Amino acid sequence: MSSLRRRAVPYLLISPTVALIAAFLVYPIGSVAYYSLQNRNLTRPWADGFAGLENFRRMLFEDELFWQSLGFTAKWVVAEIGLQLLLGLALALIVNESFIGRGLARSLVFSPWAVSGVLTTGIWILLYTPGTGVLRFLGHPETAVLGNLDTVFPAVVVTELWRGVPFFAILLLAGLQGIPGELYEAAAVDGAGRVRRFRHVTLPHLRDAIVLATLLRSVWEFNNVDLLYTLTGGGPAQVTTTLPLYVAQRAIDSKDFGYGSALTMAGFVILLFFSLLYLRLSRFGEDR
Amino acid sequence: MKRTTAWAAIAVLAVAVAGCGSGSGPDSEESGKTTITFWDNNGGTRTPIYQELIKRFETANPTIHVEYVGIPIASVQQKYDTAIAGGDTPDVGGVTTSYLANLVGQQALEPADDWLGKSAVNGKLAAPMLDSVRDTVPDGKLYLVPGTSNLDVVWYLKDKLPEAPKTWDEFFTDVHELTKAPDQYGYTIRGGAGSIFQVLAEMYAYSGVTEFFDASGKSTVNDPKNVEYLTKLAALYKKDTPEADVTNDFPKMVAAFGTGKIAMMHHNLGSYNDQVKAHGADKVGAFALPVGASGKRTIVANPVDGFAVFKGSEHKDAAWKFVEFLVSKESNSYWNQQTGQIPANTEAQGDSWVTGLPHLKTAVDALNDPNTAVVSPPYYLPQFSSITKADTEPLFQKVLLGQMKPQEFLDTMAQKLTDAQAEWKKAQGG
Amino acid sequence: MSTDVVIRAGRAHASGDRSHRRPRPKRDPGRVLRLYVPLGLYLVFTLVPFYWMLVFAVRPAGSTTPVPWPITFEHFETVWNDIGYAVFFRNSVIVGVWSLLATTVLAVMGGYALSRYRFRGRTLFMVVLLCTQFIPGAMLLIPLFTIFKTLGLINNLGSLIVADTVFNLPLSVILMSGFISAVPFTVEEAAMVDGCTRLRAFLAVVLPQLRPGLIAVGSFAFIHTWNNFLFALMFVSRQDSFTIPVGLSYTIGEYSADFGALAAGGVVAAVPVVCVFAVVQRYLVHGISAGAVKG
Repeated sequence: MSSLRRRAVPYLLISPTVALIAAFLVYPIGSVAYYSLQNRNLTRPWADGFAGLENFRRMLFEDELFWQSLGFTAKWVVAEIGLQLLLGLALALIVNESFIGRGLARSLVFSPWAVSGVLTTGIWILLYTPGTGVLRFLGHPETAVLGNLDTVFPAVVVTELWRGVPFFAILLLAGLQGIPGELYEAAAVDGAGRVRRFRHVTLPHLRDAIVLATLLRSVWEFNNVDLLYTLTGGGPAQVTTTLPLYVAQRAIDSKDFGYGSALTMAGFVILLFFSLLYLRLSRFGEDR
Repeated sequence: MKRTTAWAAIAVLAVAVAGCGSGSGPDSEESGKTTITFWDNNGGTRTPIYQELIKRFETANPTIHVEYVGIPIASVQQKYDTAIAGGDTPDVGGVTTSYLANLVGQQALEPADDWLGKSAVNGKLAAPMLDSVRDTVPDGKLYLVPGTSNLDVVWYLKDKLPEAPKTWDEFFTDVHELTKAPDQYGYTIRGGAGSIFQVLAEMYAYSGVTEFFDASGKSTVNDPKNVEYLTKLAALYKKDTPEADVTNDFPKMVAAFGTGKIAMMHHNLGSYNDQVKAHGADKVGAFALPVGASGKRTIVANPVDGFAVFKGSEHKDAAWKFVEFLVSKESNSYWNQQTGQIPANTEAQGDSWVTGLPHLKTAVDALNDPNTAVVSPPYYLPQFSSITKADTEPLFQKVLLGQMKPQEFLDTMAQKLTDAQAEWKKAQGG
Repeated sequence: MSTDVVIRAGRAHASGDRSHRRPRPKRDPGRVLRLYVPLGLYLVFTLVPFYWMLVFAVRPAGSTTPVPWPITFEHFETVWNDIGYAVFFRNSVIVGVWSLLATTVLAVMGGYALSRYRFRGRTLFMVVLLCTQFIPGAMLLIPLFTIFKTLGLINNLGSLIVADTVFNLPLSVILMSGFISAVPFTVEEAAMVDGCTRLRAFLAVVLPQLRPGLIAVGSFAFIHTWNNFLFALMFVSRQDSFTIPVGLSYTIGEYSADFGALAAGGVVAAVPVVCVFAVVQRYLVHGISAGAVKG
């Protein structure tokens, strides 16, 4: 086989993906970038036209809600990813042990992953709403966790954990499966205890899986609109509004597409910056 | 050999697309039939009503096939906006005056004046509803043919509240006396999605202010009497109403009322079926919003819900025929009887079931009372729905949570409305 | 029904899975604390919401009892017949399966390229894949709609399959490249030394080991497609081409607060995926061949 053909192989392999993404994602994303420089508001059609950087000026200097939503997004992503990683890893390790009924246990603990954000909301609203919920069985008949400023954050975090932890657990379990048993046997022969085996065999092997899962999941949680939109609508009083939720409120509910696009671009730049930083810091994919 | 993988993948994709593309394309024009598409703006519970009506229509018009598409109410505006931007609108759509201005602003709809002028239903549709539709758009044309009207009412449990309050003072007294927290509450506040419209209806009913803007174009939303009402309402929260109220949207509010622990709930006629399902028709009653100190009943006009023919339709005559059918006496009567709302067709209004349903009789009596004043919200302002939803709903939650004073909240909303009104006037060149 | 299948599957693996046949003390009191207690707690957390949904789905409207008896199927009849879940369900399966197949095949190709080749533009490709995830789908609806309309892909399930595949792909390619990287290249080389072409070496040696990854990515694609509401509603304007998420949104909204129907719809939406996943999850465990790998 000629070296030219050999070099063409990877391009051939990625070509369908590249074609699909170019056709269906590049232009739409480009149009968002374009509209971020435009006044485009269905409720004020007479003012449409080129805006320059006006949308960004408004966003950075006049819009408190932008900064507030950014702050909440950070809090949300850190809390979700930290807890999902921790619980997901624990769960993966547990269901990687052998015990009777493991298959059933796996099926059950992974199952919330299959539930959509909208349905998750539906279920948890039934659980949280005082009239229909379960808190009344715990002696709190009138506690409205979603309406109370002190409890709403933990309440939404727990809801998303319910469906988010299985994703981590599945990816990490798949990663755990890739660790050859011989390594553990060798470590055991060397007299390494459980903790040391975990630190020196499991964790290094899972590194790439963890880096990937946290990165993808962070991006995903950052842009996760459906759950919060339906569960709290960003409330009460905007305290659970993430940046993308704020985008939806501006661009879709208020039909201000230009400003919504500018907010979207802000999210884009932030995610790009942190993703590259994260990949660099984690030295992802580097062989050691 | 390597390429076979790629080809196999492409083939799979092609088959996937082709396999599902064929057979589900629009099956128009088969055997000379005209197919029109109808989008229901509240798909779901109301779907069977339309399916029945479409069946009747197709029997009467064998050459026309109506394709029903139910759009979930929460997404209907987004669906229309997307469809208009992409040039793929239905022939007929359910539209309300709360977003009519936006659709007309995007030049999506066809006026129905000429059709109606030549139609048998001409003169049989309630004049106030027609006026309300015409007032919503700058050119005063009839872009929407009214099908139903609604009215704010307070639903109450008869075993808790033997007699409906007539005045707001009585109302507040009842709310307080019926509350035995945490086992029973006199009232529930809608604090989540949809809150502002209900608060507006309550405030104007209380204050008796009859215009939304004063002569100089300033919003009356922050009228002292309105502020007074909101202050009283906010004081009820967590005392005489449940804590969960702050996030109450329609389903949550109805669920709370459905537990039987809440004596009164403000919504409109449209939730009749939900109330009956939860409590039984004889256990639940309705009264129109009480009368304020002015002694004059004041009603904030609900959006008019009806049907519009879209400009992009290729079968406008068939589309109109369907609209005409939907607002004809028989169809209109059927639809409104099923939903418990007020028919737009005046002949249907005379049907016996209208007076037979107590909640509807209350509503019709309130509306027909010559002493009743009707406040028309500025549905013609394209920004109105965004001001009363995305912009101010979170602020109302702040009011309930005690983070914002009622005065400040209403000043903010008034300012937004005044600005929007001025900007709109300027854009109209007036 | 499916539970005994699952249990059997679990047992089969408990004995057949080589990576777990490492020595382990038989009666370890710490094991209860380490394993069963947290697992039990987590199971409660997982199952209570499901149970609650089931309660709402099978008890009559208006009832508030935590243990529903007698049970009713009226809500299921409502969603299946009146709301049209029978059709939505079929559509969801079609779209989900095709999108799963397309996504997985393309992800294996792209992932293999990313993992095994160092080609010019590789980093750029990675970054572009990542970038596509940075924009919420709702902002892309209108331009996407325009493209689909130009291509004649509006109003059929095909447009949903394409749209969902495109949105599943970037993540799937990245994930898959990770899973492929985890399979040592030496295995493949050994096969090629034995005279296999690279493709055959991949199919014969790498693919079997990729099974956990294929399951993870495939179920990811299927579930995302199964649950996608926005595309399903926006790219389709035919009642007989809607999918389950659209049906779900019918049951809850202004003028309809039918929690029974919502819950019954939720059961219809969740149970098949949960069951399918219950069956395929056993493949998250490596096959017998995994033991042959020398790391």
